[in-house]
Amino acid sequence: MTRVPAGLRAVGLSLVLLLPAFAPAAVGSASVCAAAATGSPHAALVVDTGARVSTYCVALDGGSVSGIRLIELASEQHGLGYRLGFGGQAVCQLEGVGPTGSDCFADFPDFWGYWHGTSGGWTWASSGAGSATVEDGDVEGWSWGSGDSGTTHPAPPATSIDDVCVADEDPATPPGDDGGGGDGGGGGSGGSDGGPGDPGDGGTPSAKPSGGGGGGPQGEHQGSGDHPDDEDPGVTPTATASTDESEDGSTLAAAPVTDGGGGPPAGGLLAVGAIAVLIGAGAVLLRRRSAGGG
Amino acid sequence: MHPVAWIVWATCAGLVAFTTTDPFYLGLVVAVSWVVYAAQRIPGPTARSFRVFAIAGLVTMAVRTALVFFGTVDAGSVAFAFLEGARLATLLVVFGTFNAVADPFGVVRLAPRRFHEPALAAALALSIAPRTIAMVGTVREAQRLRGIHPRAWRGLPALAVPVLETGMEEAVTLAESMDARGHGRGRRSRYRPDRWTVGAVVTIAGALLAAGVFLAAGFGDWGGLHPPTFPIGWPEADPVLLLAVGLLAIPAVLPAQTPRVDVIGTGGER
Repeated sequence: MTRVPAGLRAVGLSLVLLLPAFAPAAVGSASVCAAAATGSPHAALVVDTGARVSTYCVALDGGSVSGIRLIELASEQHGLGYRLGFGGQAVCQLEGVGPTGSDCFADFPDFWGYWHGTSGGWTWASSGAGSATVEDGDVEGWSWGSGDSGTTHPAPPATSIDDVCVADEDPATPPGDDGGGGDGGGGGSGGSDGGPGDPGDGGTPSAKPSGGGGGGPQGEHQGSGDHPDDEDPGVTPTATASTDESEDGSTLAAAPVTDGGGGPPAGGLLAVGAIAVLIGAGAVLLRRRSAGGG
Repeated sequence: MHPVAWIVWATCAGLVAFTTTDPFYLGLVVAVSWVVYAAQRIPGPTARSFRVFAIAGLVTMAVRTALVFFGTVDAGSVAFAFLEGARLATLLVVFGTFNAVADPFGVVRLAPRRFHEPALAAALALSIAPRTIAMVGTVREAQRLRGIHPRAWRGLPALAVPVLETGMEEAVTLAESMDARGHGRGRRSRYRPDRWTVGAVVTIAGALLAAGVFLAAGFGDWGGLHPPTFPIGWPEADPVLLLAVGLLAIPAVLPAQTPRVDVIGTGGER
């Protein structure tokens, strides 16, 4: 008379078993509370050419900007070289890497993959940078490589907003002091102690692409020379183009693993417990009601 | 319970599942659906739909995960695909629950008068899958009684012909009986009108709140709705969001639904 099918029980059981089975495969992640407590809104931009990784702390000129606008702002503030294509809706070239024409997939299968930062990792952007919204505390990533989905395209090294933008910077502090602080900022980029910013020329030297890598001509959007470095003294020249990128990348990627502790969140145990209780209650209910009403 | 309450419940539970790939939240949605199904299912052919959709969900999840192995395989890509599959499976389970707990004809009756004809067709279409599943079981049972043991592919015509034939007959009978009761005639049957109960209102409130919290988390970017997979990391489990999913379990504590008198007598145990 009990109509609880064995298959159904198996479904419930497998769901209970799958969760813990999946869990050990995961590693701990740092809890990133993107609390860019600074007054003006900032977002982090990570550019991974495959050969080197650059990070830019970009001051936003509004509550939310598009992903394309973030790149333009990074160019204005830190001299990031870029070229857009497809009517300014797609990114063809960053830091001299990428196709020079207006067809951003001219080098396919290699292209600039677009990523949104999550807590301790990246998710593949499901829509274009022109329609994506970037807000205070967001982390945006671009990585050059092949693979047309988040599962196959190489992701930039894990980066949090605090790695790039120093959280408790004082806007009144002269930029010269911020140069060193910005560099040591998230603890992840310890190896790249290259460029303490001169107050005069902001983040230009370290953020500027060498130009030799891609060999591309400097685009018309190239913000060379005319950086308004005096517009916001709070913007630290944290465009730390790490020359020893492999070391930098590995430390950045390893950072969440080490300080995460490797344990599941307390809420996770609560969730698993609640799931088990509900499934048990369901089985009891099903048996009782089918026995009573059948 | 009022069909509108079930529609709102299913829509909100679906929204919750749609906004996240976190296995903790998705697992809880599935568990909540299961307990709601156990408490509120209407005996009859549609009660099977939970199992059918749960199995379909598992298959979906397996296929989605298996697709990864055509590309570059690492822990992150497998986890990413698995979680995407889990989201689809959860949506299927929610839909299966809705089918099992809501009376499809009660849902169709909600259609505006102008759309009664398409709604009638929709009611027939909705009823076909569970009826066919039930019919396959009946035909196989009849075959076994006669000592016939049809093997997989060769036995397919022997199975399909009676199933299709009976399905056609049933559909015609159903259409005639609905017609006789005034469906699609521009006047509404007042027979056993759906009643609004406190339980239905609370169900709707809880479901809307749950979906609202998840949408807020999605737009506000908190609660870890999408666990990091590059590199792979522990999914978050925010107590507020867990509680919000728990609100979807409200129908489970309401009194059980009484089965409606089925139009052509296929209700009850088979």
